Amino acid sequence: MSRNGNRMSRNEAAGAGRRGDGASNAWMIVATREIVVRALNKGFLIGLAVTVAMIGGLIGFTAYLDGRTQSFDVAVVASDESASTALESAAAEAASDDQKIELSVVRVDSAAAAETALDEETADAWLSSAAAAGADGWTLSGWREPDGELTQLIETTVRDQVLAGHAVDAGTTMDALTAGSEVETERLDGNPVDPQIVFVAGFVLAFLFFMGTVGSGAMIAGSVIEEKQSRLVEIIATAVPLRQLLAGKIIGSSVIALGQNLLLAAVGLVGASFTDLSAILPAMTTTMLWFVVFFTVGFVAVAALYAVAGSLASRTEDLQYTTSPLMMLLMGVYVVTFSADGMLERVLSYIPPASIVSMPVRVLNGDALWWEPLVSLLVLVVTTLGALLLAERAYRGALMQTGGRVTWKTALAAERGTTLGA
Amino acid sequence: MSDLEVRDLTRVFSTGGTSRRAVDGVSFTASSGLLTGFVGGNGAGKTTTMRMIMGVLAITNGEVRFGGVPVTRHDRREFGYMPEERGLYPKQPVLEQLVYLARLRGIAAPVARREVLEHLDRLGLADRSKDHVEKLSLGNQQRVQIVAAIMGQPKALVLDEPFSGLDPAAVDTMVDLLREHTRRGVPVLFSSHQLDLVERLCERLVILGGGKVLANGTPDDLRSQGVTRHRLVLSGDAGFVRGVPGVLAVDVDGPSALVEVHDDAAAGRLLSAALERGAVKEFSPVRPTLAQIYREVTA
Repeated sequence: MSRNGNRMSRNEAAGAGRRGDGASNAWMIVATREIVVRALNKGFLIGLAVTVAMIGGLIGFTAYLDGRTQSFDVAVVASDESASTALESAAAEAASDDQKIELSVVRVDSAAAAETALDEETADAWLSSAAAAGADGWTLSGWREPDGELTQLIETTVRDQVLAGHAVDAGTTMDALTAGSEVETERLDGNPVDPQIVFVAGFVLAFLFFMGTVGSGAMIAGSVIEEKQSRLVEIIATAVPLRQLLAGKIIGSSVIALGQNLLLAAVGLVGASFTDLSAILPAMTTTMLWFVVFFTVGFVAVAALYAVAGSLASRTEDLQYTTSPLMMLLMGVYVVTFSADGMLERVLSYIPPASIVSMPVRVLNGDALWWEPLVSLLVLVVTTLGALLLAERAYRGALMQTGGRVTWKTALAAERGTTLGA
Repeated sequence: MSDLEVRDLTRVFSTGGTSRRAVDGVSFTASSGLLTGFVGGNGAGKTTTMRMIMGVLAITNGEVRFGGVPVTRHDRREFGYMPEERGLYPKQPVLEQLVYLARLRGIAAPVARREVLEHLDRLGLADRSKDHVEKLSLGNQQRVQIVAAIMGQPKALVLDEPFSGLDPAAVDTMVDLLREHTRRGVPVLFSSHQLDLVERLCERLVILGGGKVLANGTPDDLRSQGVTRHRLVLSGDAGFVRGVPGVLAVDVDGPSALVEVHDDAAAGRLLSAALERGAVKEFSPVRPTLAQIYREVTA
């Protein structure tokens, strides 16, 4: 009687009528464990922190280069009036036009003093006109070659000033002379995104794909072989169907991989908003969302195949053999997708797993019609389902085979244990 | 509670062109409330049989029954099982992973936690519950593994070499634990190489060799099946026993001899011959040990 009492109290505490009910949510228990174990893994956290820091640092550096204002002290001999005038309008131009350049005028007494100022680095450059000597021509001197942007600014100012002088001499005005000479740029491909940026984005997506799949794939393979090698899986298999164990592992590692990519993408996008890329942020965000959707679907297949790779091994040492075909595939996708363009890219954008990277890139460069990502996604979903079915069979076939590596063929042909199925 | 019964269980492994019958028509019953010892040399088929009982390995032929009907996956879910090779998650704390395994068997987390802590306490591991399994000694890992098998009031226990690597005190604690389960009416089947241990503990014994059951019964049954030997101690030299018809001298050492007597007439001839030579100090049957029986049936 006391036994029954015991059973009752446990069931009450469990809030479930019978113990068998637990099997239906076993995948959740497994997935939770996978996530917690991974999220608390020091190596994983350090790797993630380093990646985030690298992205942040890169963006910060770019933003710094973009946003930094260079200031120059330019010397001029006080008696050199044309040069003084030119410098003052250059300084005004720099100040007015957000040139990211600042110019202050340093007046010195003589050419010798100007040279000394350059030598002592109290001035970055020295502008002198030959007009004082009654000749034509200008010289911008520096201790070394003067800065390019500074030279460009001063050249423009000097040209305008000299032209204005000539215009007056010719009895006309600058405006009359330059009227109708503005050139505007226009792109006809209708895409606001620079091909250079598309290339970089392709590289970034390929990298995120590779990082996410290989890192989390290795995790799921490791977790499978850990259980197989220790025969822990035999204990688990008597408690829950292997299908649920596999589902829990795939879901757990997918959540981790997705979370990692979302974090990196968010850091990247938020960072990009502080740089010149902010103009194309909406297009980039759309692309990122497509990437996340494609990655989420595709990763399920990758995770399932990595689980099989884990189950084919008999010891942790075997993993490098059993996972290498997958590794090759993912590496191939990484290399091919970030460099592909034109027809090749169009084809790749429909072939999983390359489509995970190529289709979002095509969305970014405006090449894809609205329905193309949807069709490609459908192809990916179907492929993923196929991979899942195949993987589930191979996983169950290989998991209980001890003694040596198992091949895909024997795993698929294997008779399964009597109760290990659904 | 119910018996765990194995009927004509067969497993054929085929690799390439060759096939091997690892288990060949094995039948026995692990009765409810009894400790059944499963004995046999390496490759006798113990582990293969146990894996088939647990459904971890596909059965080629035969069946496993529990409570008189074919075993189901729900039954097996409530069996406690300890596989051949030891191992848990090396980098996860003891308590955490035992609770995880219990939850997979459908036990609510708080209940599992309480029960696991209770077991760890009894096995002297309460203060190690937060340690990673890999930090524990092999003996302690073994205890953790046992807890994994016996938590959740299992309906049957199938334990592959549960005592290997344990010191005598730990064996006693473990036996006490197992006895608690047999007292509940649970059948307990365990394999072992340690014959003296099996002899001391088991109510039933199954000897396996070459994939077949060689002997099956209570230890007393098995012992009585063997040829009984007698010890004869005389005042003088016992060398003469070698010449008595119907008597096989196993060992002669001065005044003492160990003999196998084939029938009562031979025993009479032996005794009268001995009395002719002087006083008989001792003439007693020597019960064979299980180790002897084991050697006989597996020879």
